[in-house]
Amino acid sequence: MKDHSRKYRWLLLGTSLLTIGYLVAAAVRETFLAEWYGLQKQYRTLLESKATDDRGRAIARDFRVELKQVSIPQLKAVDRCVSCHNGIDDPRMTDVPVPHAVHPGEILKDHPVDRFGCTVCHQGQGPATTFEDAKAVDAYWDYPLLDRNLTQSSCLACHDVNKLPPQQIALVLEGGKLYQEKSCGSCHKLGGRGGALGPALDNEGAKTKHQLILTNLAPPHSTWNWQEAHFRDPGGIVAGSQMKNPALSEPQVLALTVYMLAQRQRDVPESYLAPDKLEEKVRRLHPQPLTGEQVYHQYCMACHGEGTYGRWDKTFRRFIPAIRGVSLQATADREYLKAQIANGRPGTQMPAWGKQAGGLLPEEVDALLDYIQPPEANRLVKTTLHAAVVPPRGEPKRGSELFTSYCSGCHGLAGHGGIAPEIANPVFQRAASDEFIVTTIRNGRRGTAMPSFQPQIAGARMLSDADLGDLLAFIRTLGGAHEGSLSARESDSYAASTKKGEAPR
Amino acid sequence: MGTASQPVAPRATREFLQNLLRLPQTLRDSWFRLGHAPESEREESQATFHNLFLHIHSVRVHVRSLAPSFTLGLGIISTASFLILCVTGVLLMVYYKPSTALAYDSMKDLHFVVFTGRFIRNIHRWSAHVMVAAVFLHMARVFYTGSYKKPREFNWLVGLSLLVLTLALSFTGYLLPYDQLAYWAITIGSNIANSPRELTDALGITQWFNPGGFQRRLLLGANFVGEDALIRFYILHVFVLPVALITFLGVHFWRIRKDGGLARPDGPMGGTAEWGGAMKNVFEPLATKTYGLMALVKGRRATVNRGPENTVMSWPHLFWAELAVFMLTVALTLILAFHFDAPLKELANPAVPENPAKAPWYFLGLQELVSYSAFMGGLIIPAIAWIGLAMIPFLDQKSGGEGTWFGTPGERRVALKSLFVGFAMVVGMLTFTVNYGWLRSWYPHIHQLWIIFINPGSILVLLYMAWSLWVLKRQNSVRLAAVALFTCFLIGFSVLTYFATVHRGPNWIFYWWPSQWPVH
Amino acid sequence: MPELNEKRSSRLEPLQVPRRSFLSLAALGSFFGAVGMALAGALRLPGPAVLPGPVRRFKIGHPEQFAMGSETRMDEANFFVFRDEQGIYAISGVCTHLGCSVGRSPEGFACPCHGSRFADSGDVTRGPAPRALPWLEVGRAADGQLVVYAENEVPAGTRFRV
Repeated sequence: MKDHSRKYRWLLLGTSLLTIGYLVAAAVRETFLAEWYGLQKQYRTLLESKATDDRGRAIARDFRVELKQVSIPQLKAVDRCVSCHNGIDDPRMTDVPVPHAVHPGEILKDHPVDRFGCTVCHQGQGPATTFEDAKAVDAYWDYPLLDRNLTQSSCLACHDVNKLPPQQIALVLEGGKLYQEKSCGSCHKLGGRGGALGPALDNEGAKTKHQLILTNLAPPHSTWNWQEAHFRDPGGIVAGSQMKNPALSEPQVLALTVYMLAQRQRDVPESYLAPDKLEEKVRRLHPQPLTGEQVYHQYCMACHGEGTYGRWDKTFRRFIPAIRGVSLQATADREYLKAQIANGRPGTQMPAWGKQAGGLLPEEVDALLDYIQPPEANRLVKTTLHAAVVPPRGEPKRGSELFTSYCSGCHGLAGHGGIAPEIANPVFQRAASDEFIVTTIRNGRRGTAMPSFQPQIAGARMLSDADLGDLLAFIRTLGGAHEGSLSARESDSYAASTKKGEAPR
Repeated sequence: MGTASQPVAPRATREFLQNLLRLPQTLRDSWFRLGHAPESEREESQATFHNLFLHIHSVRVHVRSLAPSFTLGLGIISTASFLILCVTGVLLMVYYKPSTALAYDSMKDLHFVVFTGRFIRNIHRWSAHVMVAAVFLHMARVFYTGSYKKPREFNWLVGLSLLVLTLALSFTGYLLPYDQLAYWAITIGSNIANSPRELTDALGITQWFNPGGFQRRLLLGANFVGEDALIRFYILHVFVLPVALITFLGVHFWRIRKDGGLARPDGPMGGTAEWGGAMKNVFEPLATKTYGLMALVKGRRATVNRGPENTVMSWPHLFWAELAVFMLTVALTLILAFHFDAPLKELANPAVPENPAKAPWYFLGLQELVSYSAFMGGLIIPAIAWIGLAMIPFLDQKSGGEGTWFGTPGERRVALKSLFVGFAMVVGMLTFTVNYGWLRSWYPHIHQLWIIFINPGSILVLLYMAWSLWVLKRQNSVRLAAVALFTCFLIGFSVLTYFATVHRGPNWIFYWWPSQWPVH
Repeated sequence: MPELNEKRSSRLEPLQVPRRSFLSLAALGSFFGAVGMALAGALRLPGPAVLPGPVRRFKIGHPEQFAMGSETRMDEANFFVFRDEQGIYAISGVCTHLGCSVGRSPEGFACPCHGSRFADSGDVTRGPAPRALPWLEVGRAADGQLVVYAENEVPAGTRFRV
């Protein structure tokens, strides 16, 4: 007879045997081929060879080959690193190879593995049970294992940077110094203080690689690799970046990278914080004002340099004024300068520096003003401006013609700036007094391209007082478009022009 | 008692001891009525209908239903993978913690330390894929063999509900690991639920009538994917949907039995069958057999002098077949699970969107449509497709060709033609859209209503309908029109799925190959 | 099959079916083997490979912190630490009856749940407890602190000599 189920019985036999085969293979792979299994067996022989006294023999005897983990609910950490790093807190394991070796240095004395685990300092995938997974370089894990020289960036999560032994966090300290020296604060905020041109860096170290632009980065795609490459050449990593190349040596690149990684706002429970960390937090709430020179070096120098000469900036496509130049010191009064610093120049790269914006304390703004314009110079300016004879505002139409022929070459036809500052800027218009404008036109600015238009000097282009009055009237109409804050049209055109990779003019 | 003085104790003691010794035997007999392997056909039939789990089968099964080339075993594969999913699912529940703070950690535990945890999770994932694929193919098999026809219309509807439940189970399971993939897929999914808002917004009536927002809140319990969404998806995934699916599955099986087993050709089949050790001529079965008399007689009722049908005993033949296909499914998922790990991305992070955020493969066809309009692509077109499928047995009532692949004349030709036409239409539509964009690229300020209703997805649906109507007119056959439409639906679904899987990269931009995607 | 049914006298007598073949037995056997193995594997899953939560191994401080003759209750870990002339020892605070926490009483330890009483040495003096309160292993960590291994029992009277 025809057997209707013979082929099915063969199929059942075949698939069942296949299933058994795969089940056995899976069991063997999981139980005996695991990385930690082999390493723990090695470690047991190590323990036996090290067992010289009763205690050592007891440790060797009690050692069980099994998965081990340190579970620290407060830190939300389950670290299984100890499944392979078995000898991490056994001081006898000095002459054995990694992963069996004891943790180098004295650091575990104050940071027992039981209480702190591993990932709180080293990052990496704690739950993993193979080294590749724990490193998590190309794994789906936000915080891969930190390279050895980067680990010090983790100390700051619980410690005050000033209270740690300097040799242990040498790179962090060096990076912090560079951050000030390179005047990174001119464009970046840290702790609420700094410019607005670049992103704030408070949580830079907690960024994952997915938050960075990796398109131009050669692998491996770790955040620190990105930071290093970015410090070497910002524009090469982030296309169209306005960041200046900080011109760092390789050790400096590393130091600044570690400093960036240290900027991690982690939610560490208070019981884990070093007492000095709490003091540091209090200090941050009540900062000590910096001196004017310090403020200038940390927050102004990246763009203004020493500030004695104005210069044309290629990236910004904009003229950067000489804010410590002799003639500005001699013409601008303190209120004018203060307004520039407090409000910035909307539409340009100059941000506002008031307490709510750039985070400078009022005392610091005053100190900075004293540094830019010494008090005696300011007193002189007051008398000069006071003495200045301001012609009455004349005919704007004629002023417009004068402006076109004498000023527009540098200041632009509508005063939107070119190689010279944008005098149509609303902050300028609001802060600059008629005296200041007239005096500047009359005397020019020494050390810059602004010549003197004072009629008395022979050979110079002469403008009569009436001309000055007409010009003044026209200049004042320029601010009209900027009444109040930045208009919608203005911000649109700014966005549109920056999109094309050009600075607005 | 009156007889208390008689020495009965020794006899009772003996009886007690005897019964005690026979306990294993009596225990077995009480469990298995037969007590031994069936030795005759009568005992074989008893083996079938005395068993709770087997009695849903008839005691005899037609040889056609046993032929692998007819069913391809797809129904059993679907059921088998569902069984595997139930078992592995319960095991996963041992460690899984449905909370946003713990869910991801418990996945990592399963992956790294739980004995067999990674393997079992992989099996769960792969049998989910196998189940979805098998359910789709099963539907196609039932359609192309005309097995939905009277009296099986209702079971076709039950099957379609099972398809929806299968997809819903898969979708709800997607959130549970609470990784990046989960978070963003569910964010998208829940916003598809919100998509009627596109229409109400365009009409300006959202503040009075907002079914989209209601649906979304019902699904998420909040305005974002978080703790509440997770627990809701968990309840749906481990209780509501499985219970619903098991119920529908019961009805599905029961109806197969009540509708006379698997569909078979109606006409005379001829040939011979082996009966009582001799080959005899086969008589055609009655179309509406009820098995009222439990197959003690052949046929719907006791009929003297009727010849045999071409059937064999379910025990053991059908059960060998079912067991073998079950084991085939197990082996298949095991092999896949052994070699390929189920994906698990980074912990869900609302600040870092996945790019591209892709749904599981069986939803990618929909995702392509959703990229034209969430409301049309995510709700209306699937609804149209589902209702269209559901209506097939009621519109195509002419019997003929049941239980045979491409049973009616001309079916194979129409199916083949529709395959080409449907393919050309969907590829043409995609090519046009990728190259030239759509309304919004040409008229940036066009009213949203146009975008919703006139988009490549709806155009494609209309084209398919038009083709089907043309077939209806031309071939003068409802069945052939249905074949045309169903084939278009299948090829459209497949091409869209393939297209969105391979050719859509970050920001849903067209790329020839995933290797060309920019690094992110 | 024909020979099986040759002797059948009438149609009323049931048709005989062949006995199982070797193939059937092999197929069925391997099927049950596979299912059995799969179940055995699956049943391994609920047995935890690593115990959640911190290890029950407690660093209790340096020996100097424990004065001669003192007794200290470690609430979290649920054991008592004693120091006498011979050394330091730890006694579990978990009743051996059904796991309630015992408290100190004038005679030794008393369990609040079912009335078990223990002597200072941990021996049962009254009540349903089946055995004495276990003494726990005390050792010294690499950093010099005392460690109590709450999972490891030692014979009563074992002291850690300081």
